[in-house]
Amino acid sequence: MSALSGHIEVRDLNISFKAKSGTVQAVKSVSIDVQPGEFVSLIGPSGCGKSTLMNAVAGFTRTNSGTLTLDGKSIEGPGADRGVVFQQYSLFPWMTVRKNVEFGLKMQGMAQSQRQTQARTLLGLAGLLAFEDHYPSQLSGGMKQRVGIVRALATSPQVLLMDEPFGALDSQTRSVMQEILTNMWQRLRLSVLFITHDIEEAIFLSDRIYVMTARPGRVKAEIVVPLPRPRKPEMMDTPEFGALIRDIKKLIREESLAAMGSELSQGGCEGLSTDVGPEGVRHVL
Amino acid sequence: MGLTDRHAMEVPPTTAVPANPTGHRPSLSAIQGGKPAQAEAPHKFNWSDWLDTGLAKGILGTISIGGVLLAWYLATRFQLDFYVRFGNIPTPMDVLDKVREVNQSTRFLTNVGISVRRVVFGFMIACVLGITLGILIGRYKLFRALSMPALEIFRPIPAIAWVPMAIMLWPSNEVSIVFITFLGAFFPILINTIHGVEEIDEVLFRAAQSLGTREIDLILYVVIPGALQHIFTGLSVGMGVAWVSLIAAEMISGQFGIGYFTWEAYSLISYAEIALGMITIGILGLLCSKAIQLTSKLAMPWMGAAGGKK
Repeated sequence: MSALSGHIEVRDLNISFKAKSGTVQAVKSVSIDVQPGEFVSLIGPSGCGKSTLMNAVAGFTRTNSGTLTLDGKSIEGPGADRGVVFQQYSLFPWMTVRKNVEFGLKMQGMAQSQRQTQARTLLGLAGLLAFEDHYPSQLSGGMKQRVGIVRALATSPQVLLMDEPFGALDSQTRSVMQEILTNMWQRLRLSVLFITHDIEEAIFLSDRIYVMTARPGRVKAEIVVPLPRPRKPEMMDTPEFGALIRDIKKLIREESLAAMGSELSQGGCEGLSTDVGPEGVRHVL
Repeated sequence: MGLTDRHAMEVPPTTAVPANPTGHRPSLSAIQGGKPAQAEAPHKFNWSDWLDTGLAKGILGTISIGGVLLAWYLATRFQLDFYVRFGNIPTPMDVLDKVREVNQSTRFLTNVGISVRRVVFGFMIACVLGITLGILIGRYKLFRALSMPALEIFRPIPAIAWVPMAIMLWPSNEVSIVFITFLGAFFPILINTIHGVEEIDEVLFRAAQSLGTREIDLILYVVIPGALQHIFTGLSVGMGVAWVSLIAAEMISGQFGIGYFTWEAYSLISYAEIALGMITIGILGLLCSKAIQLTSKLAMPWMGAAGGKK
């Protein structure tokens, strides 16, 4: 897991879908970078295309134009060089925890005894060894997601792509998971592209944050998080952290209002007032 | 018990949570608190718990079957006649005598053996073809567009309606009966397999692909286990329809087989043999469906794992 590899480069990316109402532009001329060993978050209002962007990097979604490269090589489809952690629990229900973790190694053709040893080592580091023979249905949400992360890391990818991985967890578990992740990243130093709509989560974890606009998704701002490493939960109470939250909140709020405003002006407020547009909402709020 | 076990799993082990304040984690004794609580009130009789015990199931099962036998005995002993006529129906004892009688020669057992062989062949072929086609249709749009329209035409035709055609089509009577049995089992297995493949969560395919899985491994490790629950539903339904089709085919065109035995008994006015044939068919069907249930439990150990039994 060399810190020299794992450079994601996205240039002028456009992605659109065919929907009933016509073509929907999900991502519009987006250019982002993740440097080797860097933790980068994508944050924005729901429906801003951040998951679409991540799916494109993972190789699940076809792009319309622009370039997507990992270490200079064009991304053509999904592959084991990019580990993915999904928002929904994506463990194979028919495999035990250990078999789930072993799966990527098995696909690489590693011998059974070797991959079993490796999976057990990883599970031990994650504190999950006692659960190696459990099925996913026997685990709590937080544990499932930890197994999901361990599974994504088992094949030693250069990059970890995480699509709102803690979105389905309760806030207690969530903050514990954030700590686990930042500690883990501190040790492994691999490139992470992290999707979230939680501002504090993005600041706590990231070196850099891209704020995306409402559909069509564009990069509105890039924010460098100057907080020292390793990150500790106490940092969330510092004035610097508070200032960062306020900055990003303001950026996102403008975007959310713009998104809601366009819906409102399209008839959501019919009969209330004729001139309630984005500006009107801004005054009311 | 299930509840306490589950609760224990909700707690992440502290080893992985270095910065977690220890106060977050309930102590072990608190987690196991459920056990003494149960012991406190051992005398309180719980009706629904008792119904889950093996003893209760044995007693109630005996009552269930005994009730039917008793009703049968009474209705035939007193030759009830209230629209439904029991005048010619054999008593349970007549049938029991018949069991002893038929076992003096191999004729009856040969018939049973032949029926079982036909079901096994027909069902096995239906399994292989139904599951294979089901996976291809569920997974590949091109294959689906090419094969489904033709299959949809054949699907509504009951297997029994194939009897005349099958006799013309196949070189021997034996093969045509196996064919009818196969047809009965094929469509339930096919349709359920297709459904099972379609139901698999897309995220599992993505997860597998991002771990470097090739298409063939995707079929082996994601599609087949992912569809297995529905496949077993198909096997279970298919086994039932296979027996229905087999018995009908044997009655219409058969030589040998338990369906033929039963129909022949009617022609020979051997009422006890009719009842014996029916009961035999019932028992064979039951054994087959139990065999599938058992196989499904062995094949899917992850099902029901959440109950806490480990």
